[in-house]
Amino acid sequence: MATASGGGEFVDKFPDEAAVIKASFLIAFVSLGIGAFFGLVQALHRTNVLRVIDSADYYTMLTGHGVLLAIVFTIFFLCGVFHWAVARSLDRPAESALFSWAWVGLMTTGAVLATIAILGGFVPNLGMSADVLFTFYAPLQAHPVFYIGLAMFIVGTWLSGADWFLSYRAWRQDHPDERIPLQTFMVLTTMIMWYISTLGVAVSVVFFLIPWSLGLIESVNPLLTRTLFWYFGHPIVYFWLMPAYLLWYTVLPKLAGGRLFSDPLARVVFLLFLLLSTPVGIHHQYLDPGIAEGFKFIAMTNTMFLLLPSLLTAFTVVASVEHGARQRGGKGYLRWLGALPWRDPAFTGMALAGAMFAAGGFSGMINAGMNINYLIHNTLWVPGHFHLTVGTAVALTMMAGSYWLVPQVTGTKLYSRPIGLLQVIMWFVGMVFMSNAMHRAGLAGIPRRTAEPQYQNFEFLTPIGSIFELRVQIALGGTLLFLSVVLFLFNILLTSLGEESDRPVDSHLPEPLSGPEGSPRILDNLAMWTGIAAVLVVLAYTLPLAGIIQNGGGLFGGGLPVPATVSAGFDLVLTTVTSAFNTLWGVVA
Amino acid sequence: MAVDSTAEGAASSAARTSTDGGVPANADSQGDSGQADPPVDSIVGTADDGIVRELGHDDFDPVGTLVLVLIYMAILIGMWVFMYFVEFLGRGLTVVG
Repeated sequence: MATASGGGEFVDKFPDEAAVIKASFLIAFVSLGIGAFFGLVQALHRTNVLRVIDSADYYTMLTGHGVLLAIVFTIFFLCGVFHWAVARSLDRPAESALFSWAWVGLMTTGAVLATIAILGGFVPNLGMSADVLFTFYAPLQAHPVFYIGLAMFIVGTWLSGADWFLSYRAWRQDHPDERIPLQTFMVLTTMIMWYISTLGVAVSVVFFLIPWSLGLIESVNPLLTRTLFWYFGHPIVYFWLMPAYLLWYTVLPKLAGGRLFSDPLARVVFLLFLLLSTPVGIHHQYLDPGIAEGFKFIAMTNTMFLLLPSLLTAFTVVASVEHGARQRGGKGYLRWLGALPWRDPAFTGMALAGAMFAAGGFSGMINAGMNINYLIHNTLWVPGHFHLTVGTAVALTMMAGSYWLVPQVTGTKLYSRPIGLLQVIMWFVGMVFMSNAMHRAGLAGIPRRTAEPQYQNFEFLTPIGSIFELRVQIALGGTLLFLSVVLFLFNILLTSLGEESDRPVDSHLPEPLSGPEGSPRILDNLAMWTGIAAVLVVLAYTLPLAGIIQNGGGLFGGGLPVPATVSAGFDLVLTTVTSAFNTLWGVVA
Repeated sequence: MAVDSTAEGAASSAARTSTDGGVPANADSQGDSGQADPPVDSIVGTADDGIVRELGHDDFDPVGTLVLVLIYMAILIGMWVFMYFVEFLGRGLTVVG
């Protein structure tokens, strides 16, 4: 199985798809470069090591850093990965190359508009700014161009999903009885999750934020836009993570010299993410006084269930990697780790990303606990956490994956494996410095989203080490991370400029050890799982949203908000249902 | 044993042309080609070429994974206990609700 040919390189077999993927990667990498530079400036600024910008501009940079990295880089990259995965696993091109370019074009236009609005914040007399941070809910208001750009971007992602569903539909007509190939299954479940979750942000942006920023409506209900943001804001975490999981499940075992341990287990994990990603967003609002404690408790329970697919992944992926090590001659309880191909930057990058994700899982458990969350809420601990998850588990996996994927779509060999290896290790070391210091700084009470966390007549205290030492670690870590991105971009640029090769990369993916044949066919019943996911969302969000609308002075705010109770939401739902029933009864009678 | 993966690209080309898609070259020949002729460049994703034995589903017992998962769980529980009892409760009253 190990040496069977993949039947030609991807770029030769699917030239149109390769061009779309290259365009997606290009935009992703440009965003990565700009966003990482902003990150470096921020790390040096807030630690007071080097201040080259005005502190008021810090928030413009913070918004640019968040939007360009967490939305533009990640999503463009994952669109490239998904386009590759669907064409590869279904072994057929997209139904219409024009349609593929349409979503690339719409997403690009949206991303450019949003970026222009953000960068406008650096030009004082332009009258355009969007210093609303990545969490773009009211009462902070951005220029309408920012929201319009975001809306176009989101619609573009919907079209990209439609592209993959159309491919699947065409494939299904030719293969009525076959199981959905694993990579396509992962893409489709991820996109269904994305459709469900982006409804929240679409409603927030189209019905509230755009009319409000244009002056068509006077006010919005800030708690409603905040809740709708987090309705989308947690599942987007899984929209970042599931492509990384796709690479961990289907590519990392091969990079380790092994095979995926279990195909059905991978399917179960993706279904659990589809079901549980969305009805948990309220766990970002544990300190929000407008939401009743009972609803927060439900969100916490759902969140704890969400640990399950990640722990299943930890087992399956590590077992698959161990299989590779054993096939390469590895022995012993832990000595097998030495038999892994540590000099391959694609393998090492993904393995280090997985190790960091394990640490991020720990701090995520602290964030998710309703009471213990009070300890770290809105402190630097939280950026410390998500720089382990999206900032390493996802970003480092994407960079490491690029070393294996980019040669497949360019047809050229990676420019330098040693530089790639140095780059992924530098990212890991930089993040160890920065993230551990951020976590500890958060425990000391240092706030996040602040240009100058240095206050007169007040000293933060740490039980071990000193605040000075934490600042140095953050500045050093941020610098290493930026240098790592520079090395990455340099390596990829020179790769794309290289000469075409007959064998740019070993692209063959072996079959799983345990295939899908023996698993229940119901796993592939996407319509049923979508229905269950929708029901869970309705259960988790109907009462809280009703309470927010009633207590916060209606859909468009205006009134004084009152502290929330569970019964208020229940009353509104009861009134609405009763009046709807009465109206219906009146019409029928 | 760890295979020098920088040699894998060259080794793999040799293995593939000589075996025509069959079982990869054994570990000895990998080592030989790696030592004799260091490659000018190399490609990514060639860990398969270092395979010295093929393990099927029933031959593979992921005991190393179990060890790693147990180590991770021990760290996780230890850190959580520290966070809850020392950092959280150790700071006095927290008003909830």
